[in-house]
Amino acid sequence: MSENEVKIMHEQDMQKVSSKQKTVKIIVQVMLYLFLGIMALVILFPFYWMLISSVKSLDEYNLTVPTLFPKKFVFYNYVEAFNAANLGRLFLNTMYVGIVSTLFSLVITVLSAFAFSRLEFKGKNTLFAILLATMMIPGELFTITNYQTVSRLGWLNTYTVLIVPFLVSVFYIYLLKQNFMQIPNELYLAAKVDGTTDLKYLWKVMIPLALPTIISITILKMMGAWNTYIWPRLVTTDDAYELITNGLRNSFTDVSGEVNYPVQMAAVTLVSTPLFLVFIFLRKYIMKGVSRSGIKG
Amino acid sequence: MSKVLNALRSAFVDGVWKTFCVKWIWQGFCVNLVYKKFDKWKGWLYLAPAIVLLLVFTLWPIVNTLRMAFLNGYSSLGELGGETFEFGIQNFQKVITYAKFTSALKNTLLLCVITVPISTILALLIAVCLNAIKPLQKLLQTIFFLPYVTNSIAIGMVFAAMFNIVGNNIGAEAELIKTAGIINNILGVFGVKPVNWINAGSSYTANMTVMVIYIVWNALPFKILILLGGLQSVNKQYYEAAKIDGTPRWRVFTKITVPLLSPMIAYVVITGFIGGFKEYSSIVGIFGDTMGPVGDPRRLNTMVGYIYDALSQDYQGRASAAALMLFAIIFVVTMINLYVSKKKTHY
Amino acid sequence: MKVELQNLTKIFPSRNKKSGEEVVAVNNFTFTIPDGKLVGLLGPSGCGKSTTLYMISGLQKPTSGKIFFGDEDVTELTPENRGIGLVFQNYALYPHMTVKQNILFPLQNLKGKDRMTKDEMLNRALEAAKLVQIDDLMDRKPSELSGGQQQRVAIARALVKMPRVLLLDEPLSNLDARLRLQTREEIRRIQKETGITTIFVTHDQEEAMSISDVIVVMKLGVVQQVGKPQEIYDDPHNLFVAKFLGTPPINVFTGRVENEKLYIGNDAVLDVKGVEDKDVYVSIRPEGFSLDEKGPFICELSNVEIMGRDVSVVSKNEASLNPVIRSIINADNKVDMTSATVRYTLKPHKVFLFDKKTEERIYFEVK
Repeated sequence: MSENEVKIMHEQDMQKVSSKQKTVKIIVQVMLYLFLGIMALVILFPFYWMLISSVKSLDEYNLTVPTLFPKKFVFYNYVEAFNAANLGRLFLNTMYVGIVSTLFSLVITVLSAFAFSRLEFKGKNTLFAILLATMMIPGELFTITNYQTVSRLGWLNTYTVLIVPFLVSVFYIYLLKQNFMQIPNELYLAAKVDGTTDLKYLWKVMIPLALPTIISITILKMMGAWNTYIWPRLVTTDDAYELITNGLRNSFTDVSGEVNYPVQMAAVTLVSTPLFLVFIFLRKYIMKGVSRSGIKG
Repeated sequence: MSKVLNALRSAFVDGVWKTFCVKWIWQGFCVNLVYKKFDKWKGWLYLAPAIVLLLVFTLWPIVNTLRMAFLNGYSSLGELGGETFEFGIQNFQKVITYAKFTSALKNTLLLCVITVPISTILALLIAVCLNAIKPLQKLLQTIFFLPYVTNSIAIGMVFAAMFNIVGNNIGAEAELIKTAGIINNILGVFGVKPVNWINAGSSYTANMTVMVIYIVWNALPFKILILLGGLQSVNKQYYEAAKIDGTPRWRVFTKITVPLLSPMIAYVVITGFIGGFKEYSSIVGIFGDTMGPVGDPRRLNTMVGYIYDALSQDYQGRASAAALMLFAIIFVVTMINLYVSKKKTHY
Repeated sequence: MKVELQNLTKIFPSRNKKSGEEVVAVNNFTFTIPDGKLVGLLGPSGCGKSTTLYMISGLQKPTSGKIFFGDEDVTELTPENRGIGLVFQNYALYPHMTVKQNILFPLQNLKGKDRMTKDEMLNRALEAAKLVQIDDLMDRKPSELSGGQQQRVAIARALVKMPRVLLLDEPLSNLDARLRLQTREEIRRIQKETGITTIFVTHDQEEAMSISDVIVVMKLGVVQQVGKPQEIYDDPHNLFVAKFLGTPPINVFTGRVENEKLYIGNDAVLDVKGVEDKDVYVSIRPEGFSLDEKGPFICELSNVEIMGRDVSVVSKNEASLNPVIRSIINADNKVDMTSATVRYTLKPHKVFLFDKKTEERIYFEVK
């Protein structure tokens, strides 16, 4: 065998290995996408089902073999859903509670986070440790007494009762405090040298710098108002103060037996859409806010 | 008690705010005079709103829950009516002997033990796969996060619709199959006979299966997000080093990925358990307030559900006892998890 | 503006409550900084130089003692009322504001009669920017600037209020070597141009020596020596100062004085008139050695490093406290590399004696 032949054989061998590796790689990639694709379908299917059901006629919905795409679009379901569940009122109530509680909550959170991150005072660390410790306690434990407290305060069936008890979130204070701490202390000292008051510094420097976190908190808080169920159910019996999730659940369970599913799905779609819109436009902040909780400690 | 509360309330309305206002003005005045003194108080001033609210809605409830739990047969209405209660542990004794409570406990534990491992493993698999692809990664990541931004009651209703047997389900078997619902239809493609998932006369196993599927579906996004975040922060050099050594994929996964990811895994497992023990609204979403299929309410009740039931019947003593037990369980499980993960966590 | 520090003391309460040990960061510092001078506070980390700077700025309050700007007692004044400009070690530029907004920021805080119109503010900001030569970068964000440019912005921001005193905290430590040299000159120029009394803190003796009018050497909260750079170099008051200043560092030996003769090991290396018999530390500047075949000081020759104009002779001696002895000799002198030893005579004014216990300077008469 000449030297040249050896060389060629060697090269062929190398190519073989690499082509084998290539096929393995391709197979692995195909399997990855297959798995992820199937999982994605599983995740998406309920949403798809919700959407198509919401525009089916009741007859089509009740077919023996369900159709995977509506034969005829019945958008009237939405009108019916809107009226049946009094969704307009529920939307307004929920928005009001959401916006007011978010605003107050932000003010309290920002002030507290600022105190914990930038000011020195006696008992600061002890206080913060106590706050963190309360995060371990399940909220239900508070609910029992809070129900008692608000009913004795005469707050039942008011907006106050839906807003005030949840204004302080230790978790958001913690989140924002961590963010504030990352801002170098020299900026604070520099501002002090320039004669900036604490509040102006907070407004002009810290809030702009921590804006992503503040936006995350705002969105999560608003979403919380949208999704809250247990507390409003306890403290409001008057429909005038009902929030969206309660209204949704109540309006369609009262009807015994015959549930008009297309209309129900239309209502569910209406309730879910704002959440999806917020998610689509502010995905970055939501995912950051949620994942922040993962970098704890 | 109510007197105290009323006094507190009037003190709060009249006294505290005035005191604070006065203090505020006084301290504002003092800025120029005694700069140092103000500095010491400033922190508390900024925290004042948070502290007031926390005292009323967090700290007082902790104290009060302990009090109520250890007053035999305590009820808030009774107390208002002048009834007095003896100190004791009767509430706890009663609660644990109640079949309602034990079945709620069983449901909660079962759901935790089944859903947490399934969702964690599934999330880990999806996260690892997501991390290994390039095109479509962002899109898929977004899709997998979607369930997080849903209303668990609303989507619960969608799941209920999917598992539901549509139409009148009282009648011959043939009629039943005729309107079997989409899930049964899909299963039919694979030759599985229709199952009565959530309707009247459905089996406990079927109910639980639906709950497990829904809870896992709901729990995936958070776990995937955290685990993927963890994966993406792992230094690529470890993988390159492993590649040079010719380490097989499976070994890379078990010997490098999982250990490096162990803090994140521990985190999602702990939060998964905590969330699992507080399971409530997903069951309301599917079964409604009755917490069970038609004809068998409360069959799928959970710890939290039990607490609310006791509360709505004005048995605050029992509710408090149950809440404390829930807290104790969560605490113990968290500690065990932390202990185990500290031993297993590799850095 | 003359800055006067009187018995300035700062004591930090101990962090650990049990041990109760207080940390004296600055101890009884009295010093007058003459008007329009550039003063360097020099010392190793933890010597209290930054604390001193922060006390002058008003960000920290002295435990006792007073600070005067001119004749005005500013001890109790808050930072913004002192009329100071402070440049932080990491510049502390607001990252979300442009250069212009950063420079304008201090002006926007002015109240009462100091209040300015927008145009006035813009003019002042532009003036300050021109002074530090960043007027073409006004619309950039700090993250788009190099370290040196950020430094200039920080200086402009400190100068824009026309402070009475300019304070710089480790102004060069975040810059690379080349920029450091350039910025050093720049600071010197700006200070000369504005004539503002400037105090800066550094741990780098070379930096302090090269630009300061006056250097204050500090150690563990206590001022060691104050003076012009050359004076301190030529006449250190104690061993710490001698060791801290100069590159290559001063050579230190253990020695003793007997009969007005200085011994290192067994070699009587120098006549030291007027010194009583005792054990001493002997420090010799690298340029204090002369090659001399008959010189009294014998060392073991290690190697010779050529530095161009000079050569550095590296040698060893048992009495040396440094790992090696470095002497700097004019390159015209030939060093016999084959020889195992090298012999020196010492230049008396480059030799400093320190008491073995107090480490204070012992003076002797130079013939």
